Amino acid sequence: MTAPRRLRKELTDLQACGLKSFREINADEENLLRWTGLIVPDNAPYNKGAFRIEINFPAEYPFKPPKIIFKTKIYHPNIDEKGQVCLPIISTENWKPATRTDQVVQALIALINDPEPEHPLRADLAEEYLRDRKRFIKNAEEHTRKNSEKRPTD
Amino acid sequence: MSADSDMEYSDNDCEYDDYYNSGEDCDVERLDPKKTDPEYFEFVCLTVEEVEKLLNESVEKLNTILEITPSLAKVLLLEHQWDNQVVVDKYRKDANALLITARIKPPNPLLSIPDPLAPSTSKDAVVFGTSSSVSRSSSCSNDDSPRNALISLGICNTYNTVAPGGGIISQRCQMCPVCASSQMGDKFFSLSCGHAFCKDCWSTFFDTQIFQGISTQIGCMAPMCNVRVPEDLVLTLVTRPVMRDKYQQFAFKDYVKSHPQLRFCPGPNCQIIVRSPEVCAKRVICTSCHTSFCFKCGMDYHAPTDCVVIKKWLTKCADDSETANYISANTKDCPKCHICIEKNGGCNHMLCFNCKHDFCWMCLGDWKTHGSEYYECSRYKDNPNIANESVHVQAREALKKYLHYYERWENHSKSLQLEQQTIDRLRDRINEKVMKGRGTWIDWQYLFNAAALLAKCRYTLQYTYPYAYFMESGSRKDLFEYQQAQLEAEIENLSWKIERAETTDLGDLENQMDIAEKRRTTLLKDFFPVDF
Repeated sequence: MTAPRRLRKELTDLQACGLKSFREINADEENLLRWTGLIVPDNAPYNKGAFRIEINFPAEYPFKPPKIIFKTKIYHPNIDEKGQVCLPIISTENWKPATRTDQVVQALIALINDPEPEHPLRADLAEEYLRDRKRFIKNAEEHTRKNSEKRPTD
Repeated sequence: MSADSDMEYSDNDCEYDDYYNSGEDCDVERLDPKKTDPEYFEFVCLTVEEVEKLLNESVEKLNTILEITPSLAKVLLLEHQWDNQVVVDKYRKDANALLITARIKPPNPLLSIPDPLAPSTSKDAVVFGTSSSVSRSSSCSNDDSPRNALISLGICNTYNTVAPGGGIISQRCQMCPVCASSQMGDKFFSLSCGHAFCKDCWSTFFDTQIFQGISTQIGCMAPMCNVRVPEDLVLTLVTRPVMRDKYQQFAFKDYVKSHPQLRFCPGPNCQIIVRSPEVCAKRVICTSCHTSFCFKCGMDYHAPTDCVVIKKWLTKCADDSETANYISANTKDCPKCHICIEKNGGCNHMLCFNCKHDFCWMCLGDWKTHGSEYYECSRYKDNPNIANESVHVQAREALKKYLHYYERWENHSKSLQLEQQTIDRLRDRINEKVMKGRGTWIDWQYLFNAAALLAKCRYTLQYTYPYAYFMESGSRKDLFEYQQAQLEAEIENLSWKIERAETTDLGDLENQMDIAEKRRTTLLKDFFPVDF
């Protein structure tokens, strides 16, 4: 099996590089196929909070893509109420085995910071984002304040 | 009809064609069906082996002209609808551009490699000119420790030397970015983009892709790289016979689908591939399973309607019928703001949720005028057209039009099924007669011919309705609907006569058959796109 060796290496590398926007990366020693981490976005309206995500790797990894689930609720056109996110880089059609998790996470952070209302998972939020940006930002900030996790202090 | 024959298609031997055509059992006056029969179509049914032979001939031809590998030739032909001439012309004009658009070479060798540490190969000569399009990279690493945490999964070698032929010279270990294990350089393979991965990862990757039904479109494993994996690398590294077979089957499917002259027969479990020199919306009847279909789009044959329109029609039927019926039956428009309202309770006093207008569901008049006598609302008859100004009325009008055509389309489809039952009953009755010694099977055969002709005519009639639905009003539509009505009348006459076959005179029936078929061909000649 390729998955454990590759995942161990990716995990060590990711933990060692100390990304500011993706922290507290953990995986079960027993089960390397499930990781958790904290997304710390830079852009308003999400820059007042942090969001816990779970990355699930299939046993066939890296020949099949990982899946990402938001554990923290987020007010975002591309993330639905169940925490599912539509990220092209990890869709089955686009997946490339040499894509590393840090690249996936970077793509996710870019999507959080700059929503793509053209391909929404939540059409209502996409509509609000396009039609009434001020109201969207106000609602998202409010939502972030109520639901998100605390940002790390350093 | 000649289309039903087993005639071999030959594109350079016209006399041969004529010999067969004149031998057909069509009417005396129809000597050249190409000109007189609007449904005439030349095609031939081929087996998988025959098609493989056909494709291989194209591949070999290209190999000889351009001196490239069969694997590469297949990719180029796949990308260019199997037009040898186009490939040769493009190759002679700008081979580099051709290889880039066919995804054999990366568009920009530098940009396509996001990992700065990945090895690069020389820009040309890797793929073609050599006997194999696979470049075997044997890149080396003398630094196995992670240089940078985030990119250490990339190939950790920075000291590749590029060989003149494009391969990378080295003997020592390197790390595979996919499985993260260090292996000897000679275990690595890369495409023209230079992204090297170990043999085991390539073969596991191929297995996964083939399992998902992907074959000719398998790409390099590096992110953002869209260079295609040619057949020979796949077949070199995939060793399990099951997977090799699957790959070849899927690739064959891709090849046939990309070939404009070839169509898989849509019949269930039918292995036949139909070939015709012309891509047009004509009827093919498979010689093996007898499925009949339109050569162009593969759907049920649909003359006189064309492929685009029938698709639009079928989609509309699938989407709209139920919804449309419901809207028509259960909604009305608010008389003030014209929003479409569904009544969700028994009370006829309606309050529009949109404009807050109070009105009566029965008469659509203002509720204020109703007072306490709403059960005796009598205005419904007085002013049933009160909502006529509404935009939604137009929508409902459109729906009415659609339903008009849809009902007739549905009705003829059902009649076709019912007439199949008539034929079955006919068979029983004839059996009975033959048993009683009243004539032989051959004597009654004309009844079956009549029933078959009836089905053929009704089938065409059914498909005139989508055509008429999408037609713009005008004299041409008037003419079309006139001919359609004529055809319909003769078909119903024929159907009536067949159902009462025993009392109908043979001559009368044959006469009726002739009239119906004439009406059908006249309509097709005038309206079915003939592209000869």
